[in-house]
Amino acid sequence: MKLFRTAAAAVLLVCIDQAAFATTQNVIFNGTITATCTLVIATNGTMTASADLQSLSSHNSGGSAGTVTLTTTGGVSLSVDPVTTTTVPAADVTATTWTPTYSSSGAHTITETGSATAISTPGADLVSVHLAGTKGGSNRFASGNYQATVTLRCE
Amino acid sequence: MISARTLTMALTVAVTPVAAGAQSMSPMRGEVNSFTDVFAVRVFPANPYDRKIKVEIHVYDQDFQPVDARISPSVFQLGSQASRPVLVVVPFGGATERKVRICTESIPFPNQQTQIRAQICGKFFGHRKS
Repeated sequence: MKLFRTAAAAVLLVCIDQAAFATTQNVIFNGTITATCTLVIATNGTMTASADLQSLSSHNSGGSAGTVTLTTTGGVSLSVDPVTTTTVPAADVTATTWTPTYSSSGAHTITETGSATAISTPGADLVSVHLAGTKGGSNRFASGNYQATVTLRCE
Repeated sequence: MISARTLTMALTVAVTPVAAGAQSMSPMRGEVNSFTDVFAVRVFPANPYDRKIKVEIHVYDQDFQPVDARISPSVFQLGSQASRPVLVVVPFGGATERKVRICTESIPFPNQQTQIRAQICGKFFGHRKS
């Protein structure tokens, strides 16, 4: 009888222990991502002159757009600034109108525009940046080196 | 001494985000309360390229006019995949609140015919508390 009582007590203790091990606790993980934007310039663009020498553009034959990869959480805006920094040959003394534009493919499709575009959803894109210089009237582009800087902004 | 105290007080209410890698700048949004005539923001420009780049920090108002802010440092070289803190102290200029853009700018491939300047701008709103 004493042996039986001892055995029963041991079984009870084991059960109590098992009940204690069976409890669970949740571990909570929190994370916050604020609006972010990464621009990585892959290639700069190249402009070529048109046959009538009134256009110097990345759209012309032989020209190429600059390419930029954009990665964002969304909640940002993409835009280009008016071109203010240019270098022209000394022989070019007439006015040029510079028009920067961009388009995007990937998570967000943006048809070519010069205006700001709101990006509300996350994703990655390849952004093509174009630049076109034009001269009016009888003005023509001169021979020599041209250089212009386009600012692509994500904010 | 007063200037140092002002800066210290402003820093106590500054945005203090956790730096994150492979981003051009974080944070991109922030709201700051300050009890002084300036407010401070700490941003973390990052270099996602596999080469060192020159980075410039500029502060603009809502119309993209330059703001006379103290930026430490304003121009620096940033190693590949690196990030570093930049402290920006913006004066209220007599106003009770001020919205500014803090922009990280770089031209990673200079001396090309058509260069692209990447500009990442964060929008920050400072409130002056009395």
